[in-house]
Amino acid sequence: MSTLLEVRNLETFYGPIMAIRGVSLKVEKGQVVTVLGANGAGKTTLLKTISGIMDPEKGQVIFEGEEIQGFEPHQVVRRGIVQVPEGREVFPLLTVEENLALGAYTRKDRAQIARDRDMVFSYFPILAERRAQEAGTLSGGQQQMLAIGRGLMASPKIMLLDEPSLGLSPLLTQEIFDILRRLNKDEGVTMMLVEQNAAVALDLADWGYVMELGRIVMADTAERLSASEDIQSFYLGHANEGSRGERRWKKRKTWR
Amino acid sequence: MNALAETTLKGIRVNAEPGTSPVRIDGQETIPALLRARCRENGDATAHREKDLGIWQAYSWTDYLNHVRLIGMGLRALGLGRGDVISILSEDNREWMYCDMAAQCMGAISSGVYTTDSASQLAYLVNDSQTKFLFLENEEQLDKFLEVEDQMPSLVKVIIFDPEGLHDFDNDKCIFLSDLYELGRQNDDEALFNAEIDAVTKDSIAVLIYTSGTTGNPKGVMLTQENIVAGMETSLYGLPFEKRAEQLCFLPLCHILERIVSLYTPLIVSSTVNFAESPETVFDNLREVSPHGFVAVPRVWEKIYSRVLVMAQESTLLGRWAFAQAIKAGEARAKYTMENEPVPSGVEMRYKIWDFLVLANLRRLLGMDRIQRGLTGAAPISPELLKWYHAIGVPLFEGWGMSETAGVGTINLPEANKTGTIGQPVPGTQLRIAPDGEIQVRGLNVFKGYLNKPEKTAEAFTEDGWMRTGDVGRVDNQGYVTITGRMKDIIITAGGKNITPAEIESRLKFSHYISDAVVIGDRRKYLSCLVMIDQENVEKFAQDHKVPFGDFRSLCRAREVLDLIQKEVDAVNKEFAQVEQIKKFRLIDVLLTAEDEELTATMKLKRSTVEKRHKALIDDMY
Repeated sequence: MSTLLEVRNLETFYGPIMAIRGVSLKVEKGQVVTVLGANGAGKTTLLKTISGIMDPEKGQVIFEGEEIQGFEPHQVVRRGIVQVPEGREVFPLLTVEENLALGAYTRKDRAQIARDRDMVFSYFPILAERRAQEAGTLSGGQQQMLAIGRGLMASPKIMLLDEPSLGLSPLLTQEIFDILRRLNKDEGVTMMLVEQNAAVALDLADWGYVMELGRIVMADTAERLSASEDIQSFYLGHANEGSRGERRWKKRKTWR
Repeated sequence: MNALAETTLKGIRVNAEPGTSPVRIDGQETIPALLRARCRENGDATAHREKDLGIWQAYSWTDYLNHVRLIGMGLRALGLGRGDVISILSEDNREWMYCDMAAQCMGAISSGVYTTDSASQLAYLVNDSQTKFLFLENEEQLDKFLEVEDQMPSLVKVIIFDPEGLHDFDNDKCIFLSDLYELGRQNDDEALFNAEIDAVTKDSIAVLIYTSGTTGNPKGVMLTQENIVAGMETSLYGLPFEKRAEQLCFLPLCHILERIVSLYTPLIVSSTVNFAESPETVFDNLREVSPHGFVAVPRVWEKIYSRVLVMAQESTLLGRWAFAQAIKAGEARAKYTMENEPVPSGVEMRYKIWDFLVLANLRRLLGMDRIQRGLTGAAPISPELLKWYHAIGVPLFEGWGMSETAGVGTINLPEANKTGTIGQPVPGTQLRIAPDGEIQVRGLNVFKGYLNKPEKTAEAFTEDGWMRTGDVGRVDNQGYVTITGRMKDIIITAGGKNITPAEIESRLKFSHYISDAVVIGDRRKYLSCLVMIDQENVEKFAQDHKVPFGDFRSLCRAREVLDLIQKEVDAVNKEFAQVEQIKKFRLIDVLLTAEDEELTATMKLKRSTVEKRHKALIDDMY
């Protein structure tokens, strides 16, 4: 395995506020890496900095051995990094097919594009059914599928997924994550997955990072993270009810 | 009562000769009597403040005595007798103080439990002290009690301060503080309360202070009323507080340092105590309160220093330049002020300018614009750090004391200061160095013994009645004391050399990157050490030097971080002899918290626990 994406000592600001305070991480080729964290931990900012939407103040983003921090988003996309944004941002007035076609705008090879579209339709049959429908009229889950499908149309080397489970029912979430797993296993798509739903994310991922207040506080295999006491009580909702059976307080996080 | 000659110091009547019995402060020999006198005298003036829903609320001296009386009478109604023990398990707050005082007023003994202690530690402390009444801060601490409820037969009642989240809670043994107040109101009898206070003598045991115990189980240090009042008398000479001064209470009240500073000192000088909201908000609270005196452990001073450096580095080019110039001007002046020498007018002028432009603002930003004097103790502090504080206009002095001496034992004063020493013995305390190098003290503030541990008590005193402090040190010809190590910690290497690790450890700790270290080498070929790095400063180093790291463990493994610590170790090695060289070191790659057994409540590494828990790391070095 080789390192596809590496982030080193990244610092990103929103005005005077340091949202990422020195983050370093690695994504190996073919892996699914998840970044967990509460609201405001800096997860989305991290993705935006990688994909060029935001510029870092300090640090490097290294993709296939090349430093790409501070590049414009379109240059980043051309190198094979595609971000699937949070909240199913599809073009509501365009049809499913048009949305997918937009995903491939950086590519020229028509035959390959057609093959990829067929692949997307095979993974998401519902999109094939609704190919002529306006994207805005799709259900939430279908829009999320479309956003992922559109990302796949760029034939990415790595997909940055920002909370694909947001606002979806548990059943739909499971469905989408099953598809992500197949995409990873069968098509070898490398993924970096930002999630609040730690249970599904850790189930899918090979490796995980936990972010808190702009810093990485834990890094380990997904398996070991799932077994960690802090992850269980703060992210997986395993509650220790205590002897009274209605414990409200939480013990301090130690991240071990 | 024999009439001792009296004198007036800072407006307070004390014995002319400090350290003579009976010790009296404004004519009072015990804490309860002094509390009553002060509360009556100061009436509606503010005694303390505490935040409620984010807003500082003031409580008067009259409120203070009323609360203490109600709790005292309530406890009495529940069966509290003279000589009984109460224990308090809570973060610092006014209820903590009320309960401590109420117990003493009723002739009972008050003992504190650290909030970081585990359930089994709680059970040990309750059983060792035969506690009858246990006070718990909230739900979290209650759960600790419930876990070991059946192991503490001496307990009569448990009183919970904060009912939040416990509306459905029902346990025969537990009541809420509001219930206790109500009980106190039903049984309120001022004359009886006063009689109870009057029955407290200078020889009554006032408090139990459990020493953090770097070895074995904690020992309960018994301090009498006179021990504490004698300690307060010396505080009057040594501590930087005056009438109406503002103070901030934030270190654990179970610890003798904060107990003396925040609970008992205010009774001498009628200062106002502000309780910090939580350990996490200390720096904000500091800014809000802007105290006149600030007593803290080196770790806190170090944190404030690191924050300022970070702020300075993140400021503009001009800002950085001005800050550097200001520190230079301050250090030039500190060279004179720290030695109590007159400052040449040129140096003073330059300082005044930079003080006006930079330093005064910095102090305001930190909440130190009113500080007349800062005090550090409970652990060694780096001389460079002391100098830096003097440079920014916060005169910081080092002192030394222990639970067994009811607080301050030696102290540096503005007029008598020698950096790197722990100062001269406080008035009323005598100090000598035994032939084996041990520091021994004698005075009215020296404790009576360890609870239930007569053999330990016997060990603590010499045949001629001096207390063995367990510290090794020396006294110079001006009377300044320097500590070089701990008696018990002496390492004998395989080569037969005696080494006091504490000296090396405190030199290591002076590094901003090292928060604590334990030197190993007993019956080994050479010395090695385990290092606990300062997370914030090392992370900052890594970030500044582009060292990638993920979590704490990977930070500890980074080559550059290891090199950095190696450099710090090398620098310390230069100051020591050949046999005292640290040949190898390892970093403790777990981020320890106060809940961990390896750390004392004041965040010091416990040698024995560290040696046991990190045996693999140690063996790896040999």
